[in-house]
Amino acid sequence: MSFMQPSPVKYACSCGILNPINKLFFCRHCPKLRCGFCVCHEIESHFCSNCLENIPSSEARHKKNCCANCFDCPCCQHTLSARATTVPVVRKADESKDGGESGSDAAPSPKPSAMPTTKKMYYLSCLSCRWTTRDVGIPDQGVATGTWPDNECLYQVRFNTLMEYYQSVVLQEKQEKQEFMRRKAPKQHKFPSLTDRTGLTVSLIRRQIGWNDKSIPKTKPINITPAEASAEVEPLSEDIFTQPINLRNVTTVAQRHSQPADQPTAVNNLYPQRRSLWIKRSLRCRHCEHNLIKPEYHPTSIKYRIQLFASYHVPEVVMVRCEQPLQPGQTNAIFLKFTNPTMYDMTISILDAPPADAQVNMDAFMQGCRIKEEAITSSPLLKATGVTLTRQNSTREVTREVRDLANATIVPLDNEFVLSQRDDSKEFDEDVQAPIEEPKFIVWRKGNKVLMRLQFTPAAELQTGDEVTLGFYMQYTYVNTVSNTPDKKEPTTHALYSRLFIQAGEIAQGTAN
Amino acid sequence: MPLYETVMQEKPPIVLDIGNAYTKLGFAAEAYPRKIIPTEVVLTTTGETKRLFDYVATEQLYDQIVDFLQTIFFKHLLVSPKERKFVVVENIFGQSVIRETLARALFIHFDVSSVLFVPAHLIALSTLAVPTGLVVDIGYSETTVMPVFSGVQIMSAFKDQSYGSSAVHDEIKRQLLATGVKESLLTPSVLEDIKIRTCFVTSFERAQAKPDKETTPVPNVDYAICDDDAVISIAGSVRETVYELMFEQNNERDSLPHLILRAILDCSMDVRCALVESIFVIGGGAMVMGLMARLKAELQHLLANDSYYAERFHGDLQFKFYNTIGKQNFTAWLGGALCGATDLIQTRSLSKETYLRNEHVPDWSNLCDNRHGG
Repeated sequence: MSFMQPSPVKYACSCGILNPINKLFFCRHCPKLRCGFCVCHEIESHFCSNCLENIPSSEARHKKNCCANCFDCPCCQHTLSARATTVPVVRKADESKDGGESGSDAAPSPKPSAMPTTKKMYYLSCLSCRWTTRDVGIPDQGVATGTWPDNECLYQVRFNTLMEYYQSVVLQEKQEKQEFMRRKAPKQHKFPSLTDRTGLTVSLIRRQIGWNDKSIPKTKPINITPAEASAEVEPLSEDIFTQPINLRNVTTVAQRHSQPADQPTAVNNLYPQRRSLWIKRSLRCRHCEHNLIKPEYHPTSIKYRIQLFASYHVPEVVMVRCEQPLQPGQTNAIFLKFTNPTMYDMTISILDAPPADAQVNMDAFMQGCRIKEEAITSSPLLKATGVTLTRQNSTREVTREVRDLANATIVPLDNEFVLSQRDDSKEFDEDVQAPIEEPKFIVWRKGNKVLMRLQFTPAAELQTGDEVTLGFYMQYTYVNTVSNTPDKKEPTTHALYSRLFIQAGEIAQGTAN
Repeated sequence: MPLYETVMQEKPPIVLDIGNAYTKLGFAAEAYPRKIIPTEVVLTTTGETKRLFDYVATEQLYDQIVDFLQTIFFKHLLVSPKERKFVVVENIFGQSVIRETLARALFIHFDVSSVLFVPAHLIALSTLAVPTGLVVDIGYSETTVMPVFSGVQIMSAFKDQSYGSSAVHDEIKRQLLATGVKESLLTPSVLEDIKIRTCFVTSFERAQAKPDKETTPVPNVDYAICDDDAVISIAGSVRETVYELMFEQNNERDSLPHLILRAILDCSMDVRCALVESIFVIGGGAMVMGLMARLKAELQHLLANDSYYAERFHGDLQFKFYNTIGKQNFTAWLGGALCGATDLIQTRSLSKETYLRNEHVPDWSNLCDNRHGG
């Protein structure tokens, strides 16, 4: 597979977007192709990409999605690393003793107790741009991680006051509205209450009994000092007209935005930034809510617990070459290599219209799925409590029409062919395949691969340099090993189809006619 | 995520301010945005970077918004958008197609539980705890002026002009090209960097004195373009004059001070005095050195010397300005974060159920939504 360049073979996803097969997933339960656009993304776990520590989601939220130990360089956004230095320290007790004994002595006498002990101190340094925490005057720390001071937000107190103020204002508004609604529409009780008849109100009765009033204290919005407008504005410093500026001391936009709270303009206000966490994502089919991709929990593992990539289930089509240079309106042939990734034989047919019976099969399959869901939710306990465990499937599947790019007509194959199962051991076998009767269009066959020849005609109105795109439907049999109903154990076979588009190339120079 | 966590704990609403150049994103009840990112999408098909609001068909805009929101949620905020509440700070005169498409992406693709649209000018004023102010937003593509009195936006007095940061970028480019700098060097990011790091708004006296009197020139700057290994010299005059397009004196009378004065004049007489004394300048374009001093000097000058304004403004008026808490470029976001922290998020939001009923975002300019009694 060509990794670096976009593949010329595109599969139409069930949502209608074209993708190469390596970007597609295959939901075994639906069974349909899915792409990154039409699946539901979920966050599996948070981790720091530098120290590879797994951080639980509640802690991640508390730490504002930042790693507690790792820092980014404010200058170049690279990771900072802690550097150790040794600094000599003189014990405090000895120092004071020395001071008492020989006050005017400039050099303290070298006593064995005052041996210069060394202490490890740490500072952070960027290995990419050589920025260090010493540049901005952050003192070295005694421990490598955990003690670095956070830069505080200057207006946090004011912000908190504003927030409390608005919360109380909104609360008061809400209470007044409720009070208003209560007065406007008095509750219609089924039975007239005593207080209604006698004209006594609850508060009156309470007062007669001698209880204190129960009325809810009205919340008053807390006082806030509104901001003061001033006629004084910050003047432009006169230096700017005379002093040359040193661009090395002025921060760039990226540097400012990486520190959104204060956005310093001078480099000596840059501050190490806590490193953002990364996430592992799991993907879920929107239709049946089954997981398509579920990574392993641990950050150091790159494996999956569930991986339903399309290239494990759907025959892969690779374009090999065209037989002749492409000319408008002239019959040509393309060589396509089909590979079966599954452990079961596949029967493939190439069509130019969607197969009629495929839809019926799909509906029958969906019916099977529904029965299974029913079985789960209809347990008597759940019914009694009225709790439904199934998630509310409110996410709609939004499908769009597949954009028909094809500008060539293909000659559909008159009969289907079999793509044998994948067998890794066969790769090393001597080629002892008995020559069997092959349809005409098959060029060669080896193991689970088939090279075939498909005839097509580019549209006559194409110009030189236009891209020729072939479109066809590939029907294939897929053996589903997922059992949907508990009684049925043996795998079921479905006839599925995908729509494929192949960019065959450009119309060649110099038309023959 | 454990079940109790999702059930017991209210998740903080996400606050988004999608600007033309930069998007501010974060959570409600936090004092500053988590990230400020360029409003750009990387196309999955070709891998090229593209501005979010450059589109041909609505379908394309939808795809781009989905891609963009996807990166916001999974690369920057690291939360699942499903069943979350949102505060979206919006331009009140923004295109409804963008608004509708954003709502469609949020509700249908990301399955969010509610969205609260708040107008940028009004909500920015809430960071001051004052009800009245003349909000001037200097953004990327335009500069807008919106008077707000007692918490009500005076829509009829709204003014806007197309000079914003992008116009300044074009001006820098024009002036540098005239000095013989190769055009290939001046990419948008380089222009922005030159603007941010070297340019400033000159003082009123210098701007007035320019044509006749010789002034000491501003020192030149040698600017190194990292990507191309080239050094270009930026003349002092470029540094000083690129922002002049906001203060240009012409017969159109549409420079920034004129815009502010005309917006005040379009308001009724009783509120004018209050507005004069409460000018609030926000937006990323307002962060340039010297802008406020120049604006004040220009306003006072026009008031005293321009006969049109002298006839209409009376008394000893003194323009007063508010200082933002935090930086100007996320003031509107900050207002959204304050709003999202209150109970308004429960009562005023557009919920998913309401949206799905007829897939439409209520809009103040739409008569269907403005009728009383539905």
